[in-house]
Amino acid sequence: MNGALESIIDQIMEKATLAAAVYSTLDQAHTDRIVQAVYEAGFNARVKLAKMAYDETGIGRWEDKVIKNVVATQLVHEDIKNLKTVGIISEDKERGIAEIAQPMGPILAIIPVTNPTSTIMFKVLSALKTRNPIIICPSKRAVRCCAETARICYEAALSQDAPEDCIQWLTQVTREQTQALMRHDKLALILATGGGGLVRSAYSSGTPAMGVGSGNVPVFVEKSADIPFAAEQILISKTFDNGTVCASEQAIVVEETIVEDVEAEFSKRGAHFLSGEEIALLEKIAWDKEEKTMNPDIVGRPADFIARKAGFAVAANVRLLIAPLKGVGAEYPLSSEILAPILAFYVAKDFEEAVKICIDLNYYGGIGHTASIFSNDDEKIKRFSLLMNAGRIVVNTPSSQGAVGGIYNVLNPSLTLGCGTSGKNITTENVTARNLLNIQRILWRRPNLRLTQFDMSRYLDESQDAKTIEREFNRNY
Amino acid sequence: MSVTFSIENENLVCRFPHHLDTAACTTLGHEILGKLEHFDNNVVFDLSQVEYVSSAFLRICLIVFKKVGADKFSIVNVTPMVKKVFKITGFDQAMKIE
Repeated sequence: MNGALESIIDQIMEKATLAAAVYSTLDQAHTDRIVQAVYEAGFNARVKLAKMAYDETGIGRWEDKVIKNVVATQLVHEDIKNLKTVGIISEDKERGIAEIAQPMGPILAIIPVTNPTSTIMFKVLSALKTRNPIIICPSKRAVRCCAETARICYEAALSQDAPEDCIQWLTQVTREQTQALMRHDKLALILATGGGGLVRSAYSSGTPAMGVGSGNVPVFVEKSADIPFAAEQILISKTFDNGTVCASEQAIVVEETIVEDVEAEFSKRGAHFLSGEEIALLEKIAWDKEEKTMNPDIVGRPADFIARKAGFAVAANVRLLIAPLKGVGAEYPLSSEILAPILAFYVAKDFEEAVKICIDLNYYGGIGHTASIFSNDDEKIKRFSLLMNAGRIVVNTPSSQGAVGGIYNVLNPSLTLGCGTSGKNITTENVTARNLLNIQRILWRRPNLRLTQFDMSRYLDESQDAKTIEREFNRNY
Repeated sequence: MSVTFSIENENLVCRFPHHLDTAACTTLGHEILGKLEHFDNNVVFDLSQVEYVSSAFLRICLIVFKKVGADKFSIVNVTPMVKKVFKITGFDQAMKIE
């Protein structure tokens, strides 16, 4: 690292460290006032910030980005506002245990280009609620809207006497700078949302990190499903912000007995089933074979734009491109995660085969993330769920909105979806403020009476086996 | 019940009982390797009846895979549960599993 960069990074971290020290002295009421002000300011700027994000990145739809901003402010605030995050947060005198919530320290927030403003507001609210200063590291392609979002949040926080520099943001982003920040010994945690390479960098930095893996969400339309409802919901989900949510469906799997009905319901709603020739054209522009990743030029773009770019035309009302495929893997580029209104489509002869295709999709780049099923057969829903490796299995729900939480189910609203150890994450939870605390425990003396009353010399007698000891240990005189 | 062998389209097809625990695999491994001594065509493990595979069976798969080679070995008709086992082990990256 060159001297100038080292100096900049040190300055950022020094400010963050001072903010962390001051913030650690604030009480719950003061903390909540800060969070309330930031939530309101973010919420009130939801439309302006959504439009800024769309104008700057060209990704998605600004109307849907407004909804993302609402989730990140109103729903997130609703979820955390009554959470105790300061001082003693629980006490059980009988068991002799109390829990103390302590802040972690400065958090580095890596922000993706697909959901820039909403991810910032979610991470800022979560960090401020837990008295952690936050440093925003935006995507290079979304620097301006990220800076404006961070500024609005920071001014609102300062209006309630938040510690100076509790929110900082980078306006020039380089890989070297990001990595230097990640490695800095004063940094407490990295909240990494982004591409696989960036998340891996976060995990290998030596700083504790919560990253999110990529998704490759299969949606199984089981034969007992309400087919028109399923088609409608999947369309709502996959076309939301033009498919930029990592929990959005990537492939539909249907049983052959219902395939015609499923196709008809999708077609009726503006889905275009691609021919073999169109699939070949689309593969060329949707997937970068050398980089083994989706082409960023089509991420979050509308279906007709993508079709034109690929070299074929679709009707004006087409919102979704569906590619019938025969397999999963490198030979079938459209079976990978592509954050655009493109879905792979598989027909299975029965339930067992459908589940096996879903397993293939789940393990092909989406392990630990999300799976989806439309069904009215509870037994099959459970069988499917047991075989998926996914932090969230959403049922009869649009997976983009379902996995994020707070809309269709009791999951905590979050824009950072843990993928478990299989997805190289530390948690399968929807990450929230609850994950940004160091919980200390006070343990009063409460001796284990069975142990203190037990004749400990028995342990020294080799003839006493486990069953004998256990019987005596648990003897109820 | 043990493994049954048949020659179908010049391939050796091995059909297995539903529970492939360690004890079952002790004799089963010898039987299969014995069959392979004088066999040079494709080997197919048909797991349509199999509900449980032990690590001993996974070792047999590995031994047979190495002995006959990737092109000549395939595992077919796996149940979803057994498929997941092959995914977790990573065997599906090297072996043909359907």
